[in-house]
Amino acid sequence: MITRLLLAGSLALSAATPEQALQILEKNCWSCHAGAVALSGLRLDSRAAALQGGKRGAALLPGKSSSSLLLRAITHADPKLAMPPGARLGDADVAVLREWVDAGAAWPASPARAVAPQWWSFRKPAASPGSIDTFIAAKLREKGLASSPAADRRTLIRRVTFDLHGLAPSESEITAFVNDANPKAYESLVDRLLASPHYGEKWGKHWLDLVRYGDTAGFEQDPYTLYAWRYRDYVIKSFNDDKPYDRFIKEQIAGDELYEDPEAQQGTGYFCVGPNRDMLYKVEDINRVESLTDFVDTTSSVFLGLSVGCARCHDHKYDPISQRDYYRMQAIFAPFQKTRVFLHYNNARGYDLGENTRTFKLYDISAEIGSLKAPYQDRLRQEKLSKLSPEIQAAFTVDENQRTPQQKAFFEAFAKQVAPKEDEILALMTAADKDRLQRAEKRLAGLYNNYAPGPFSPGLTDVGREAPRTYLPAKGVPPPGEEVGPGLLTVLGGKDIPEPPPASATTQRRRALAEWLASADNPLTARVMVNRVWQYHFGRGLVATPSDFGTRGAAPSHPELLDTLAAQFVQNGWSVKTLHRQILLSETYRRSSRPTPQASEKDPENQYLSHFRRRRLDAEEVRDAVLQSAGTLNAKMYGRAVVPALQAEELYGMSQPVSNAWVVTADVREHSRRSIYMISRRNFRMPLLEVFDRPEGVLSCSRRESSTTAPQSLTLLNGEFTLLQARALAEKALTAGDGNVAIAEVFRRVYAREPNADELKTAAEFLDRQSKRLGTPRDAVAELARGLLNTNEFLYLD
Amino acid sequence: MYSRRDLLSRAGKGFGALALGSLLEPPALAGATTARPPHAAPKAKSVIFLFMHGGVSHVDTFDPKPSLRRFDGQPLPGSFGEGLITSRIDFRKALMRGSPWEFHRCGKSGLEISALYPHLSEHADDIAVIRSCHGDAFDHAPAIYLRTSGSQFPGRPSLGAWSVYGLGSENQNLPAFVVMSDGAMKSGAGAYGAGYLPAVYQGTIFRSGQNPVLHLNSPKGVNAEAQRDTLDLIARMNRRHFAEREEDTSLDARIASYELAYRMQSEAPEVVDISKESEATRKLYGIGEQATDDFGRKCLLARRLVERGVRFVQLYCGTNLGDDWDDAHNDLLGSHNKMCRKSDQPIAGLLKDLKSRGLLDSTLVVWSSEFGRTPLAEGKNGRDHHPYGFATWMAGAGIHGGRALGATDEFGLRAVEQRKDVHDMNATILRLLGMDHLRLTYRYQSRDQRLTDVHGEGEFTDWLLSAKA
Repeated sequence: MITRLLLAGSLALSAATPEQALQILEKNCWSCHAGAVALSGLRLDSRAAALQGGKRGAALLPGKSSSSLLLRAITHADPKLAMPPGARLGDADVAVLREWVDAGAAWPASPARAVAPQWWSFRKPAASPGSIDTFIAAKLREKGLASSPAADRRTLIRRVTFDLHGLAPSESEITAFVNDANPKAYESLVDRLLASPHYGEKWGKHWLDLVRYGDTAGFEQDPYTLYAWRYRDYVIKSFNDDKPYDRFIKEQIAGDELYEDPEAQQGTGYFCVGPNRDMLYKVEDINRVESLTDFVDTTSSVFLGLSVGCARCHDHKYDPISQRDYYRMQAIFAPFQKTRVFLHYNNARGYDLGENTRTFKLYDISAEIGSLKAPYQDRLRQEKLSKLSPEIQAAFTVDENQRTPQQKAFFEAFAKQVAPKEDEILALMTAADKDRLQRAEKRLAGLYNNYAPGPFSPGLTDVGREAPRTYLPAKGVPPPGEEVGPGLLTVLGGKDIPEPPPASATTQRRRALAEWLASADNPLTARVMVNRVWQYHFGRGLVATPSDFGTRGAAPSHPELLDTLAAQFVQNGWSVKTLHRQILLSETYRRSSRPTPQASEKDPENQYLSHFRRRRLDAEEVRDAVLQSAGTLNAKMYGRAVVPALQAEELYGMSQPVSNAWVVTADVREHSRRSIYMISRRNFRMPLLEVFDRPEGVLSCSRRESSTTAPQSLTLLNGEFTLLQARALAEKALTAGDGNVAIAEVFRRVYAREPNADELKTAAEFLDRQSKRLGTPRDAVAELARGLLNTNEFLYLD
Repeated sequence: MYSRRDLLSRAGKGFGALALGSLLEPPALAGATTARPPHAAPKAKSVIFLFMHGGVSHVDTFDPKPSLRRFDGQPLPGSFGEGLITSRIDFRKALMRGSPWEFHRCGKSGLEISALYPHLSEHADDIAVIRSCHGDAFDHAPAIYLRTSGSQFPGRPSLGAWSVYGLGSENQNLPAFVVMSDGAMKSGAGAYGAGYLPAVYQGTIFRSGQNPVLHLNSPKGVNAEAQRDTLDLIARMNRRHFAEREEDTSLDARIASYELAYRMQSEAPEVVDISKESEATRKLYGIGEQATDDFGRKCLLARRLVERGVRFVQLYCGTNLGDDWDDAHNDLLGSHNKMCRKSDQPIAGLLKDLKSRGLLDSTLVVWSSEFGRTPLAEGKNGRDHHPYGFATWMAGAGIHGGRALGATDEFGLRAVEQRKDVHDMNATILRLLGMDHLRLTYRYQSRDQRLTDVHGEGEFTDWLLSAKA
């Protein structure tokens, strides 16, 4: 009786299950196992396909749920085949599918549905009615949170100036803003800041983090990427010009294929400013694969916010990206060839011709100088040797390969002593020889009059119209595996890339990629960029994993807001500055950073933005703001990388001789330029920047850490940089006056405010004590400055 | 005192703000580097990794190949050299070169070690040699990255960083991961970097002398009293600032970091001050002798650090801009004599000292280079880079020494028996520290990344710990 009842129950259910079952499959499985994506070869969007199954065999055995692969996968019977990845299906859903399979797995009669991507970020964003503030307010209401009041003007101008320029506002700027009665005061402030070239220096740096920018190539030799800085300047300029983001993408991915203008072609430097072993020719094939991997991984994470790297070895386990898709994308870059972009054709040609002639002359002059010196060098060496014992002399005369260990030791110990010195040679020279030498040296120097970097920028193009073939890696059989052609990600509707027209000079594969990435229909591009901009303003993105919008990434805290901003971003012509304005003029951005007690309790991570997120200055901001306070900041823009002087102990551990790897820029005024212009060696970070979390620059960095460590405090407290800047600051303060006048000036320079009475008293007593200890008031004021530069009021933004 | 969980929820600044103190951290803010429980009972609490920078010849040290002497001056037979490439020589043309050093059976076990290591030979019964190591990078920098991070490409966390990430540190007053090098590394700092792990886990360079940590001392011209006064000023200003922002623990953490930085100024030099060590101890390490003084000091310092609970100490012997194992390109004899003279007695002294203090059981000592050197001659007197088969050794941590695992072929060319790559080795080291290489993961680029990537099945801890030969 009971059995009969249960059977009846299940029969009753089964009438509804095909439709229900399909809904469950659609919701949970189709993003990877339907249509063209079909990871592991499996499709679950038709009965025939499900019965046929994928690489592991049939997914369904009608009537036999317990041995059907589908049920084994969704019940996590085998930990290696637990689907869907992440959370297990609910028991109710599992029961529906089990009964459906046992009942024969009938497919619903309704017409086949088009397979639409299931994952939220793979669908095109649409705008909803509302503004930033209304979306934020709605969520706060929903969470039962009240927002903090608006920040005061002084706080606000400091916040927004650092945010847009990476620099502090001047005292007069603060005063003007605080006293500005115009209701549009804040709006004009934002407009002024966005129009300043300092804006590109701050926001360009964010981009350089993403594209793993460096001035050298890394590894043992860490060689210079000679014109890398031209790409850095291109990025700064692009932000300052508010270059539409779609255009910015196209220039970087395929500037060579899309534009005649060399300025635009400079964008392809994007491919050249990462780590590489281009100068290790013996492993050219390995390097090529490393470069292709870097291009695919960096491009997908920077522009699409997707990590496709997993699919290099197998179908992606979490995102609907097949191994085939990965190699289709790799095939886009397969014909790559690094090149130089000629910024001006005639000048470039003239430069190369000049180099050619110069080199020819150089051989001759060098040979002449060498032969002029040689006889004197020989004489000097002989003389010096003759003063040493016969055993040591023998160590120098014997053939290098015949030296005994003792002779070797002698040789090493005395080599320096025996070597002729430059002044000794000159002292010995005849007047005639000396004259010839001087003339030769003069000619040599003449070759380098006005020597400057050439009109080149690093760039990328294709080897030609034909590309090397791309194959899937093959398991178990000798490579290569099956050949794949170039194509765009299937799950996003990407198609095969067709052959280029017969007359094309390139394969036009990157062009196809660029146009697809920069298309208004691409569901990810605008969302990812809007989210990055949001993150740089608020410290955390609406999606907290800015380079991972896949199924393992974080869910958006405010999905409608993100989609609305993304849709508007495209409507507004991909204008980044318009997006900034939208965000900066919101009340959300202008709130005080003081949380309400209730917010600290309920939303300690401030996910819902009831208040502003306080942040520490980043590495470059710390250094630049110290220079600014000291009045030593050199605001010159652009140009080749600057190498500032560092202490020997700070240069410890460099892989190459410091004389080659840290060629200090001769003009010391350059040393106090903004941090973005300081050289970024891949094997060595400047200690001050390193301790304040500047990224390593090897892989794309989408979000910097903000750590607090003792080495950080030690470096800012005791490093020579701080000391020198504190002294410079003291000089300036003392020209204003001594005593309380100097104290006030130090406060104004560091905090952009007057000291209060209590602070004045504290500081005066401090100066008194320190003057006695250190001897001079100047040193005492420098100590005051060094102290304040190390305080939280200076290092944090409210 | 807060629990870790309290802090994570209270701080509200994500992990970064809590990642205080690669060097020091205040007890109230214990976070990133406090000791954490391992996955299983550990055999070792600390690691001293002796990295021989530049490439040590395996066939002249721990992997005797009599055939090389027999066929000295002849090319490799048949197709032995096919498919191998390296920096300078051509495997099809270069000639075999027998070792100029004799090998001896040492200790009770009879483990074979060459005459280059007279002191270490006395500890033959403590060390377990792995003769079947192999890698696929023949250039220094990629091979060094590979040897520690498991990837030829820089940017991945090193073994030391992973260890500290997994276990934290026993001593909050010292960095959890200390590095001592001879200066210029062919790999740059990437060899001991934190890669995509939080920066707090990267190795901190220790130097000898009164200033072991960069920027530890007050600036020139600022005496101790003045420094203290300036720190008091900073604290006073910070407290005032904090009073209106009390909910923000990151501000509090920074206040504490200055106090600790100050304390460090007096405490760190104590660690590097070896003047209180007995004359006998100093002698044991070869301190005071010209050849051994430098590496001897580093080894003694390693013991002092481990004694104080430092988790991972990485020592490098050799430098790109001075004496290096890589000088073997042109001069095998000179380079290996010199580098062994520099390091043999200090390493032997370290093993002896650790043992006599009862520290060897809880300390894992690893000796490795980025690769071996070609059994074939480079030019007349040298050997080239050779990653296809080479030797490393391990001691301490309950390892049964006096034995060798695996083998290279007849000529020391390729690892053939019990082949072990860097992942096998790293999985083993992690397991000795009580960690499961499959479970020690960090989410980066949507993947739970592992030190051993998708490898490490050849982990050989059981062999190391088993008493059988």
